[in-house]
Amino acid sequence: MFAYTVRRVLTTIPVMLAVAFFVFSLLYIAPGDPAAIIAGDQATPADVERIRLSLGLDRPFLVRFGEWLWQILHGNLGTSIFTNLPVAHMIAQCIEPTLSLMVLTIIFAIVIAIPLGVLAAWKHGSWIDRLVMMLAVFGFSTPVFVVGYLLAYVFALQLDWLPVQGFNPIGRGLWPFLRDLILPTVALGLIFVALLARITRATMLDVLNQDYVRTAKAKGVGQRDVLFVHALKNAAVPIVTVIGNGVALLIGGAVVTESVFAIPGLGRLTVDAILRRDYPVIQGVVLLFSFTYVLVNLAVDLLYTVFDPRIRY
Amino acid sequence: MSIATGTDHGYAAAPALPDVLPPAKRRGRIGTFVHRHPTIVLGGTLVGVMIGIAIFAPWLGTVDPTALAPAQRLRPPSEAYWFGSDMLGRDIYSRVMYGSRISLIVGFSVAFVASAAGTLVGVVSGFIRSLDFIIMRVMDGLMSIPPLLLAIALMALTRASVHNVIIAISVAEFPRVSRLIRGIVLSLREQPYVEAAIASGTRVPMIIWRHIIPNTLAPLMVNATFICASAMITESILSFIGAGTPPTIPSWGNIMAEGRALWEVKPFVVFFPAVFLCITVLAVNLLGDGLRDALDPRLAKRL
Repeated sequence: MFAYTVRRVLTTIPVMLAVAFFVFSLLYIAPGDPAAIIAGDQATPADVERIRLSLGLDRPFLVRFGEWLWQILHGNLGTSIFTNLPVAHMIAQCIEPTLSLMVLTIIFAIVIAIPLGVLAAWKHGSWIDRLVMMLAVFGFSTPVFVVGYLLAYVFALQLDWLPVQGFNPIGRGLWPFLRDLILPTVALGLIFVALLARITRATMLDVLNQDYVRTAKAKGVGQRDVLFVHALKNAAVPIVTVIGNGVALLIGGAVVTESVFAIPGLGRLTVDAILRRDYPVIQGVVLLFSFTYVLVNLAVDLLYTVFDPRIRY
Repeated sequence: MSIATGTDHGYAAAPALPDVLPPAKRRGRIGTFVHRHPTIVLGGTLVGVMIGIAIFAPWLGTVDPTALAPAQRLRPPSEAYWFGSDMLGRDIYSRVMYGSRISLIVGFSVAFVASAAGTLVGVVSGFIRSLDFIIMRVMDGLMSIPPLLLAIALMALTRASVHNVIIAISVAEFPRVSRLIRGIVLSLREQPYVEAAIASGTRVPMIIWRHIIPNTLAPLMVNATFICASAMITESILSFIGAGTPPTIPSWGNIMAEGRALWEVKPFVVFFPAVFLCITVLAVNLLGDGLRDALDPRLAKRL
């Protein structure tokens, strides 16, 4: 087990290196002069030249990659072209809203989707099963900003129950913090609920046909315990895997949700950076999100043994 | 083996059945298909309608979708402006009709480009074992960047154009296809008929063309429909945050992006393109679900 953990942790290193390489080289894969791309359409030749020097474009590609990587390992993500602030600093200021939104969304999705999926599998073929499957198809077919606007229109504008947009740090109290995040969480959570409910249903359908489930029922275990203890525990591995993979969807969705609800998080930072062509910021955010994604999936892999002790490495 | 019939002609006359059985419920071929695959029919019809709208947009009572009429700004839906007009006085109905072209072009093109690129990489990786490790680590790296962020980063670097949107979304989508195809290739290589082909000296390109590619088509097609749906959503998101189709071209994402500033007072600007986008993506997803169930029920787990 320990050996496996070490091995699994080590395998993330080449993946992270590959990610870093892509993120760094994106700027050079794109056609045209990187300095001119960053400078934008209204730049004077002097601006382009200044950026060329600041990026060190006169030196070999791999040397620059090495230096860039070295800086990143020291927590230095470069400097924003637009604000001249360190990128790491700008990211740190935006992390709380995004992290809150994502954690709340994962909790929301788990709490809603897993019981729905279990219920759909238990009542296989019934109206509730159909409802869950339909919800899943709709969840996959509705872009997150459409859900966001719809929720905001109904619950904020028409019913006036919740604020239309904004964000309050948790430091200002739990209720103001939660109140602002309810609509964004539900909007972002819909696709995650769809994904989780579908995989939970599919896995539970498999598990409920197993002999040990029949045995448990035969010896008189209650329906609830059969579903949530005997069956769900054995369905946990695929479900947890999907939660891990779904984080990629969540990250993309968070960028959009934050624009809809005017949440000052990493998503807004990204969108602003795109409009200003502030490439170091875009690189920093993409790198951070990708590393998070890799680490979440590492954690998921290591969790397998907790849910299924038969898995021994 | 033959069954003795005991007649001179060598065959027995069918005994006349008493006319008491109720006539079996009969469906024509089309009826049977509709009954067996309702999602394919529903999804396919809706997709067909959208393709029709895209092709015949100029003849559907539309006006020039880029024509400005500053005096007619932000009119609510009426007889003159079926879906209302936007803040520059452009007719939203016409813009939505023409906008279907962008969504469909992007969806279908990305599905095709990502599938083709993914198949190429997957087959190479599955057949040339020495390259497999490197290729798959590269794909792992690409897959570790959340797809929407990768598309955003690529779009931030290039000039906004439909062409670049297609490339950016394809780059984000193809690694997953390559992983799917590689898995299929690896399992097919072990099949006796492929081993027999290798043993009888068939060249590798011929094996790939004759024995491998045909077996990847069903999963590839199902996967392509899901890529198409997700590409249409990604295009609208890219346009919505200002990193997609250029604002001069009406696309559903662009119309919604322009309606953003005023959506609290004039929600109809955002509403109509949103409904069309959702219906189209839903149709493609239904088609994909139906195809998956029809072509290979086992795929349900792999995808």
